[in-house]
Amino acid sequence: MLQTAAALSVYLVGGFFFVLGEHSVPIHLSGLSAQPEGLSMVKMSLDPVQVMSGQVQDIKVSPSSNGESRGSWEEKEFDQKQLDQTTKPKPPKPENAVTIAVSSRVLFRTEREQKVYEQKGVEEYLRYQVEHENEPFAPGPAFPFVKALETVNIRLRELYPQSEELFDIVLVTYNHAHVGIRLINTINHHNLFIERFCMTGGSSPIGYLKAWQTNLYLSADAEKVREALSEGIAAATMFMSDKMTTVSESQLRVAFDGDAVLFSDESERIFKAHGLDKFFEHERENEDTLLDHGPFKGFLEALAKLQKKFYAKGQRLNCPIRTYLVTARSAASSGIRALKTLRAWGLEVDEALFLAGAPKGPMLEKIRPHIFFDDQMFHVEGAAEMGTVAAHVPYGVAQLHSKKK
Amino acid sequence: MVSVVLNTDVKQEDAGNAVVVAVTSRALFESGLEDDDAGVWKLSLAFPLLQAVQKVNDCLLEKNPAESLLLDVLLITTDSQHQKLSSLLISSTKHHGLGVGKFCFASEETFVDSLLENNVQLFLSTNKDEVQTASQKGVPSAMLEARKKDSSVSCQREDLRVWLDEDLISLRDSASEPGSRHSPQRFLAKLGEIRQRFSVSDSPLWISLVILHGSRENCGKRLKTLRSLGVSVDDVYCLAGAPSEPLLSVLQPHFRFNCCFMD
Repeated sequence: MLQTAAALSVYLVGGFFFVLGEHSVPIHLSGLSAQPEGLSMVKMSLDPVQVMSGQVQDIKVSPSSNGESRGSWEEKEFDQKQLDQTTKPKPPKPENAVTIAVSSRVLFRTEREQKVYEQKGVEEYLRYQVEHENEPFAPGPAFPFVKALETVNIRLRELYPQSEELFDIVLVTYNHAHVGIRLINTINHHNLFIERFCMTGGSSPIGYLKAWQTNLYLSADAEKVREALSEGIAAATMFMSDKMTTVSESQLRVAFDGDAVLFSDESERIFKAHGLDKFFEHERENEDTLLDHGPFKGFLEALAKLQKKFYAKGQRLNCPIRTYLVTARSAASSGIRALKTLRAWGLEVDEALFLAGAPKGPMLEKIRPHIFFDDQMFHVEGAAEMGTVAAHVPYGVAQLHSKKK
Repeated sequence: MVSVVLNTDVKQEDAGNAVVVAVTSRALFESGLEDDDAGVWKLSLAFPLLQAVQKVNDCLLEKNPAESLLLDVLLITTDSQHQKLSSLLISSTKHHGLGVGKFCFASEETFVDSLLENNVQLFLSTNKDEVQTASQKGVPSAMLEARKKDSSVSCQREDLRVWLDEDLISLRDSASEPGSRHSPQRFLAKLGEIRQRFSVSDSPLWISLVILHGSRENCGKRLKTLRSLGVSVDDVYCLAGAPSEPLLSVLQPHFRFNCCFMD
């Protein structure tokens, strides 16, 4: 989409606020500094009353849904039969928790072992694993994300000690059980709170992951990710990267692309088939029609639900979960439909970044999310080059086209 | 009155090394439903298990024609009604060409003694009470699992799939004597030995370990305990209380064996 940057030249530098009820969503634009007609530059400020001028004014702003549910949350008692005495908190029941399934190859670094497998076969690989059983694996690309999930859990438990509405991390691997002890030792070494795991020895776990209402599945294997997506589980492929910028240890930050991730790929289809002008025309004509949902809508919903638990206890400014929309759409035009759709779904993101085709890498480097989901490898790679952990969502029409540079 | 009859159609195993697996007649045959042509009983739930056992034996013999560590199947009646129908049972078994080595005709009162006398190392039934009674007397026992596919028309033999867990709720009721000849450990060790005959990726026997409750510490301990018994499991699941039915439906084990881990 880089081509579009030159073609359009309607960007603002700076930012302005868009009001959604009591909560303001800061919107950032970046790109060329030519001023468009009809849009004025408004400086970024914390004043929630400022409204954008120009084309955007016709959006009906109504009080959003985030203020009303301050009532008591369903707090269920643990009634599991725990048979070993442990001071660790008990894992939540799958239906109550936000279940995140992570593969061992993305939670930890296992490249050396992969090489043994590829070069010497499965028997030698397993022997190697058993031999090195007491050597913990190093953290992989999903590690900071998982650590951040645990931080949120600690905060949630402080505020709601009886609640099972927490993140529940499940380790899933297609590895043979021979690797079991090494994986358990590794989890112990890194002090991770993972009590549920599946080492399937090769068979697919998607059936029971689905039954356990898994909200997100992260793997290094695109085939498995595709299988999960086809079963309705939000899933993304992660990659090893040498560069990983430091991220917050107190706040979980999750960034989402819009089309084909939060939303369906309908607009991307138009763009791919008929070009940019048609895309804009289509978006304009359909501004008041909601976009269809994409594979990650549910996961954003799950995050929003947990965020509201913090808001309910007066922790809005201090919320340890922050969500971002990072889209190639532009705020002035095609972005409107995205925001309207989110609002209609009763969903908000904390920050919406409309890049109007500009590269996502630099903006992501500023936000420092623990993970960024995008359906286009071009953006995933661009993000990774600048040290952001980016995961590929192999969904929609973008998968049928080779990446453009 | 208990009697043991050898199946002359089947080669008898070396008593020393064979693993005797007893299956109840009620689990194998749908009594009362006769095949029109042959006047024999139709096959029931235990049939896929027998096929899988046969497959394991065939694979073992393929690797080593002189193999003595084989699975020896004993068909046992556990109620007096079936006990009286011995000839029908034998003819039905032979008609279907089932790899049953011995028949044992016992009643509700006598079947556990028969199991002990015949050195049975695993007792499989579809009757919960029978499984519990046998367990309490020290015979490793398990319930046969229902299969998804229509077993009677299965033409391709499945691998033998074993699910090991510690169903601690039922464990509280059973009280097997430690050090008993028929302890679960002995069966597990034999199972492990059979598994070792095959490679990781090419085995007709598949062993899953499922930790239903408890922490990963539990799981680590169980893996080590099994390893010390010579059992290398193929896959392991630590559920931490999550429902096991979805997993059961994917794994489709022939039976679930309570390991009665002693800490």
